[in-house]
Amino acid sequence: MKIMIIGGGNVGYYLTKSLSAELHHIMIVEEDCSRCKQIISELGSKRIEVTQGDGTDVECLREAGIFNTDVLIAVTGHDQNNLVACQLAKDYFGVKQTISRVKNPKNIRVFQKLGVDSVISSTESIAGIINQELDWTDVNKLLQERSPNVQLRKMVVELGSYSERRHLKDLGIPKGLILITVLRGDRAIIPSGDTCLESGDEVILMGGQKDIDQISRKFKVMQE
Amino acid sequence: MGCGRVGANLVSKLSEEGHNVVVIDRDKDSFSQLGSGSNCMTITGMPMDEDVLKEAGIEEADALAAVTTDDNMNIMVSQIARQLYHVPMVITQTTDPEKQRVFTSMGLKTICPTTLTVDAFFCALKEGETEK
Repeated sequence: MKIMIIGGGNVGYYLTKSLSAELHHIMIVEEDCSRCKQIISELGSKRIEVTQGDGTDVECLREAGIFNTDVLIAVTGHDQNNLVACQLAKDYFGVKQTISRVKNPKNIRVFQKLGVDSVISSTESIAGIINQELDWTDVNKLLQERSPNVQLRKMVVELGSYSERRHLKDLGIPKGLILITVLRGDRAIIPSGDTCLESGDEVILMGGQKDIDQISRKFKVMQE
Repeated sequence: MGCGRVGANLVSKLSEEGHNVVVIDRDKDSFSQLGSGSNCMTITGMPMDEDVLKEAGIEEADALAAVTTDDNMNIMVSQIARQLYHVPMVITQTTDPEKQRVFTSMGLKTICPTTLTVDAFFCALKEGETEK
C-alpha cells in the first residue's frame, strides 16, 4: 500500500518505521529541514520517500506524490493542519482513506463531521482508561450507599502466597464472598472451582469487610 | 476570530456601525490594538476550541469572520461555524491562492489578501503605464 504521512515528529517517525517494516511504501512530508535529514539518515530505505515542505500546501502534496497515495495519515502537532491536509487529500486529490490524529479530543467529532475517515486522539484513549478506573470508584460509592457492608475489591496474587497455584475450590472462600473475575495478562477469566491461580493474577471480589480481610491474607506472603 | 491588524480594524468598523461584536484571539495582548472607542467583547482562547466558540456565542451568531494569521486555523473554524453551528454568513481569510480555490469549491466564502494585493499592484502599474 502507498501511504502518505504528514508530519515527521515522533508519531510520524515511528509510524514510518513500523509501516515500512511491513513493506508499505511511505511518503513522508515534514516542514523542518533538519528533521527530514534525520529521518533519511536513520530510516533511509527504498520504501521511504521524504519531502520537505508544508503538508497543507497543494503544490507540496503534488510534489510528494499524492496522486499515487492510497491512504493519507496526518499526524502533525496542530489539529487545524491535520484537518486541512486530510480534506485536500480527500476532496481535491481523491485519496480514498484519510486518518488523522487530534490533540484536542473535542475535535474527534468535528473531524468526523468534516469528512475525515478515522480520527485518533491519544488524550481520549488515556482518558478512557482513567475513566474505567473512575467507574470502579463509582460502583463502590453506590455499594456503600445501598449496602454499607459490601465492598468491591481488587487483590493481587503474590508469589509464594497461600493462594498461588491453588484451585479456587481449595482456597476456603467464605460463604458471603463472591469472586467475580480473575484478570490474567489481557484476559478476564470467569472463575470456577477448578480455576487455578497464578502469581500476578488480579482477583476481583465482592463481599463484607470481615470476609475480605480474611481472604486477603491468602493472597499475600505472610511474614511471621 | 483573530485580533491582528485586519481583525482589529474590522472590529472598529463594525462596532462603529452599531453591530454587536465579539472578538477571539489566543493572545490577550493583541486586544490592545483595538481602539478605545470599539465597544466589543473580547475572549482569550484557542479560536477552534468549541468551548471558546460557544462562550463567544457562536450558537446565536449571524456572521463569523476568520482572520487569524493561520490559514488552516481560519479554514477549520469556518467549517465548524458553517457545518456544525449553521452560522448564516461565514467569511474566511486565506493567504494561499491555491487553497482559496480548493476551499471555495468546497463551499467556503473566502478572501485572499495575496490575490487582492497582487491585483491592486497590477492595476496601479497598468495605470502608471498608460499615464506615461
